[in-house]
Amino acid sequence: MSKDEKATAESGRRDFLGMAIVGTAAALGVTAAVPGISFLRPDSRRVIGTASAGKVHDFQLGTGRMVLLDDRPVLIIRLPEGGFRAFLAACTHLGCIVKYSQERNRIECPCHRGVYSIEGANVSGPPPRPLETLKVEVESGEIFVRST
Amino acid sequence: MKAHHISNWFSDRLGWRALSSDVGGRLVSARNPNIYIGGVILFLFATQIASGVLLLLHYQSSAEHAFESVTRIAGEYPYGDLVRGVHFWSGQLLVGTLLFQLVLSMLRGSFTAPRELVWVSGVVITTVAAAFAFTGSVLPWTDDAYAQARVGSQMAGYVPVIGGTLLRLLRGGDEITSQTLQKVFGFHVAVLPASFTLLLVLHFYTIRSAPRVTTTPAADGEKIPMYPDFVVRMAAIIVGVLVVVVSLATFVARPIGNAADATAASPASARPTWFLLPVHALLKSAPTTLLGVDSARFIGGALTGLYLLVAALPFVDKRGGRVTTGITCGALVLAALLTIHALY
Repeated sequence: MSKDEKATAESGRRDFLGMAIVGTAAALGVTAAVPGISFLRPDSRRVIGTASAGKVHDFQLGTGRMVLLDDRPVLIIRLPEGGFRAFLAACTHLGCIVKYSQERNRIECPCHRGVYSIEGANVSGPPPRPLETLKVEVESGEIFVRST
Repeated sequence: MKAHHISNWFSDRLGWRALSSDVGGRLVSARNPNIYIGGVILFLFATQIASGVLLLLHYQSSAEHAFESVTRIAGEYPYGDLVRGVHFWSGQLLVGTLLFQLVLSMLRGSFTAPRELVWVSGVVITTVAAAFAFTGSVLPWTDDAYAQARVGSQMAGYVPVIGGTLLRLLRGGDEITSQTLQKVFGFHVAVLPASFTLLLVLHFYTIRSAPRVTTTPAADGEKIPMYPDFVVRMAAIIVGVLVVVVSLATFVARPIGNAADATAASPASARPTWFLLPVHALLKSAPTTLLGVDSARFIGGALTGLYLLVAALPFVDKRGGRVTTGITCGALVLAALLTIHALY
């Protein structure tokens, strides 16, 4: 082999090994990233649950109460005329927790001044959608809310 | 054995004498504000790590115990409130200094070629600092912090394309739970500090390796040696910053607030950390929909676009001209007005 041939062979060898090192590093990176990312991504499990909101006779007319249902805050209102309403309490704007305003008989979000009617319809302020309604059932004097 | 023998023994093995005469003899521009700002940023970050490690050893990251542990840090442990105050204020100053430097570079047009990577790494560093401040404000798990976690993660959900994944990653599921606090904690004490450190190294490397450009006559002016002239000036500035941080920590009251409660309405006083107040004002004042899109989603998309534009500024405005300076001034005035609106 002449000097030139040697130099060409050496540079070819360097290029090949360089590519092999980069390729192996990339493959190792991908191999580690796939389980790593999957590990962090939670699975979306929606449990259908039930939560008790106490006894009917303890629940004053025209007041609201909050319970947790599958980690989600739920607002239950006893209407001034007696019936019950239940909503997911997360404001449809940015997820703050809404409250029942007794004096104005409506639902309000304190964070960005969103207002919902007693039926959960978005009335004014930034909320783009009505509150999500939940089913209320009364069994032997106890109030239950169910996720649908 | 005498002291200088010990010193020589180490010097022979570590080679620090050669290093110190090399680095210490270097000339720096005495009137370039960026080198002083860089020093202040390094000092504030070191303060963050020192005070943060102390807090970390007492803080509990579960939803049941977080608030109680912060109350104990502030009220029971010796100097606990000082440590907490120093961590809080040096963090606020760190974000403030980084934003100041970012705006200064925009006004001076010092982001242009060949300093594109200096700019981009600087923008990402500022973003990480903002994420530090946001996650840090959530950790005490007060009612305000809980509301911020709800709103902040929902806004992350409105980042185009990756929003949904981002939201569930940050919350550790669909809902805000103890899992969320654990995620926020992990980001604040591990992911963000590691990223910040690596980015700082990258940033200083890009500053050193980018060919010199002088944007102002001042940068060409008086040159002083790194040691002792620059070090003495820097030390004086750092002592000044430390006095400011400790004074703020000592004399400004920072009530902790009330514990978070997932079954209580969000407090009407809930507002994000200061640099997000303009966004808060926008979210509060916007109508239900903008151009047919939910306003929060619209604002989330617009802010993402604006952020990418700022990050890519050297590639958009190649000359660093008056247009960028003008728009920056306009944006500052707008941000100030929105902040005032958010407060009242």
